[in-house]
Amino acid sequence: MVFVFFIMSILLFLLYTGMPGDPARAEVEPLKMTMTPEAYEQAYLDARARYGLDDPILKRYTNWMGKILQGDLGDSLRYKRPVLDLVIPPIKTTIKINLVSTFLVLGVTIPLGIRQAVKKNTLFDRSVQALSIVGYSIPTFILALVLIYFFSVRLGWLPISGLSTPNFSGTPWEEFLDEAKHLILIVLVILLSNVAFMSRYVRAAMIDSLSMDYVKTARAKGVKEKAVIYSHAWRNALLPVITLIMSWFIGIFGGSVVLETMFGINGMGKFYIDALNAKDYNVALGVQMFYIVISLIGTLLIDLSYGLVDPRVRINE
Amino acid sequence: MENNKMQTPPPKKPSWIKMLFQNLFGKRDEIDIYKEEQIQSPTRTIIRTFASNKLSMAALFSFIIMLLIVSIGPMVYPVDLAFSEQSQQNIRPGMDMMAIPDALIQNGIRDISVGRTFSVGVDNNGEVYIWGKTVVPGTNVSEIPEDLPPIARVAAGYDHVVAVGEDGKLYGWGNNRQRQLRFSREAQDLEEIQQIAAGFQSTAVLDNEGHVYFFGNTNLTEMYDYNEYQGQLKDVVLTNNAALGLLDDGTPVYLGTKPLPYSTRLPNEKFIKLAATNKTVAGLTADGRIVVWGSPNYKGEAQIPDEFEAQPVDIVGGQYHYVVKLANGNLAAWGDNTYRQATVPGSVNDGNNEQIFSGYYQNYALKADGTVDTFGLKGYMLGSDGMGRDMWQRILNGGRWTMTIGALAVLIATVIGIVIGGVSGYFGGAIDIFLQRISEIISSLPFLPFVIILNVIIGNELGPTQRIYLIMVVLGLLSWTGLQRLVRAQVFSVREQEYITAARSMGIKEFAIIFRHIIPNVISVIIVSTTLSFASSMLTESSLSFLGFGVRQPIPTWGNMLFGANNSVIIQQFWWQWVFPAIALSLTVISVNLIGDGLRDAIDPKSQER
Repeated sequence: MVFVFFIMSILLFLLYTGMPGDPARAEVEPLKMTMTPEAYEQAYLDARARYGLDDPILKRYTNWMGKILQGDLGDSLRYKRPVLDLVIPPIKTTIKINLVSTFLVLGVTIPLGIRQAVKKNTLFDRSVQALSIVGYSIPTFILALVLIYFFSVRLGWLPISGLSTPNFSGTPWEEFLDEAKHLILIVLVILLSNVAFMSRYVRAAMIDSLSMDYVKTARAKGVKEKAVIYSHAWRNALLPVITLIMSWFIGIFGGSVVLETMFGINGMGKFYIDALNAKDYNVALGVQMFYIVISLIGTLLIDLSYGLVDPRVRINE
Repeated sequence: MENNKMQTPPPKKPSWIKMLFQNLFGKRDEIDIYKEEQIQSPTRTIIRTFASNKLSMAALFSFIIMLLIVSIGPMVYPVDLAFSEQSQQNIRPGMDMMAIPDALIQNGIRDISVGRTFSVGVDNNGEVYIWGKTVVPGTNVSEIPEDLPPIARVAAGYDHVVAVGEDGKLYGWGNNRQRQLRFSREAQDLEEIQQIAAGFQSTAVLDNEGHVYFFGNTNLTEMYDYNEYQGQLKDVVLTNNAALGLLDDGTPVYLGTKPLPYSTRLPNEKFIKLAATNKTVAGLTADGRIVVWGSPNYKGEAQIPDEFEAQPVDIVGGQYHYVVKLANGNLAAWGDNTYRQATVPGSVNDGNNEQIFSGYYQNYALKADGTVDTFGLKGYMLGSDGMGRDMWQRILNGGRWTMTIGALAVLIATVIGIVIGGVSGYFGGAIDIFLQRISEIISSLPFLPFVIILNVIIGNELGPTQRIYLIMVVLGLLSWTGLQRLVRAQVFSVREQEYITAARSMGIKEFAIIFRHIIPNVISVIIVSTTLSFASSMLTESSLSFLGFGVRQPIPTWGNMLFGANNSVIIQQFWWQWVFPAIALSLTVISVNLIGDGLRDAIDPKSQER
């Protein structure tokens, strides 16, 4: 895992240093008119030295890595502020959106998947399955376009973009409502596209565990059907599902580039794309390293959670 | 089984001719139906199970139709990447641009004039009709003033209409932002009006004393009221940016001030009639010769046919084409033929053409019996986009690109996945560990950002076609890891089986064992994975293009056609610009996913029990 982390960091570092653009030039460019050519050249060289642009690539990498390991992601070239400070507001937004949608997705998916598994091959199951293929085949941006068209343009119920009404003032409750109104559509899109995707997993896992012998045993013992499904079978079906939930957990910090751009919500995805477009590579690189750390932690958590959900895993190890 | 054997009749002894044929063409004995059932190959079982799944078959059917449409369509409607036409922007779907109202034909046609995407007609009672796409952004030319008296003649411009009543008064409606309809008192009081012309934000009115009055945007259109030819004019035409006239003696004159090709290249001829397109003017001489001048571009207005079947007696101009009426009652046309507006259909050339009305991309041929034949642009089935391009054409060509990118990316990914998975699974050990680490790194590369960075680094140095290849290759190089794992697991499961041991003991090379003995046995898994990743490649390409990092305009893909739609004006007003590509893309991806899903069910008998 650590090995992968370092390889990734080297790859990304090389990629970003290969990007066009010269931060030193960008810093001294505005001063060009105010000084003599010699002084300008000197200032440029100073800036280059300060950014360490002339050092060998290995040294630059170790410097940068050393800072990263100390939790310093560098400064934004655009805002001249530490990346860590800049990243906080968008990350809050993204986490808020994703927490809400995760709860909703799980709340819909798990009962749906279980029901499908219990009533497998019925009309209900088949139609939900067909619908779910449709659901995950439709690109999220098309789903978003359609929802915007109906709810914002045609019906005019919901705002098209943004996180809140500009200059909105009111009681905290009204503010909350205002924000909720802005977030409904994006949450709905996430919900629709993921319910389709995840209910298939839940269904498959549940069918596997329903066909196990212990379920038959439980039924033979005369355990109530509800208890068989939710206690015996579901508990065992949880293992594959937890993997999915955990990979979702990683995604919580990610934020969807497409959706956030579409809805004009200043979350992590949009923050990252904006940084890339503005050639603010420190921010982009910092955000990406942050993702990698999160995803590595996520993988670790997945492994740990297996033990939590299924005691047998620990025994085997 | 016993039963079947009993029922099977003993095979007839084949005649020697049949045997000869079989030996010659290497055809094997045909198995009769009972034997076939007993030893049906797994492939046949798969096909049969798949065929019995109605949903998947419907998906397969719709996918094949889609595939045919996007592979044959671009040959019929090739895309012109440089195409852009202001007058055809953002037009609603519909084929009614030349749908003349029946009442107009029944009452007899007095005059027809063609505007940007609409046409105006007057019947013999002076009633005005308007048809076609009358709503152009910002203006609705179908709002004919209610108190309009009987009209004598009409002239339709880009987005305004001018009319002369039977009372000799001027009327106008439509876009008046450039004051092209703000007639001066002088013009309103004219006794008799000889001619009216309407162009792009401009109007010209010619009275019977040879005096011309101009209204509209004089900055854009070279037209000067105080020109030296006032009082001698008998004809006036408007191009996109200038006005020209014909003096009483037939000399063409330029009615603007700034030197333009119309004035610097004025021919030294006498004409009986003038006609104008967007950028050129044509004159018809008394002996039937035609001279075109101005700025004839590649659209071909200057490519006058060498010979006409009869002498031209009348000439009219469209946006980029000319149509002439010949002495024998037939028509001839030349110039831009994008919408077949310069191809006179054989059915129109029956020698009965009384009069011809042309403008923009439409032509109306009035027959002696009062009926009308039309040719040219009928409209756009799926509307047109913000550059005036036909959406249908772009969807066809966009589909071709989207599918090609998806297919090639999957091909690359599949080849890499099979090779790495096969080698990794067969050899195991250090090779396996090494390859798996590489695969892990690649699969943990965040895809979208990675492609975006790559685009920023090298994308700008590439041409549009090279960018497409870049996207294909990157998509392929980054998406093989899933398949690789699948193949590896499959290879693990078969590599200890007897036939592999047998192959090995026969001294067959290891790579041959992997790729000729193992892989064909796990091919079904590969096919399913390939189908599903074809769908996801198309989606990824579309998302990338939608964000503006994938294929760029003018090359169309379904994703970048939607890229333009990420804007509330388009979502709101020009729904056809995003609804149709969205439907095409969704339908294709849904079909492919359904096919993949059906295949998986067919291949994996366990999933059927579920």
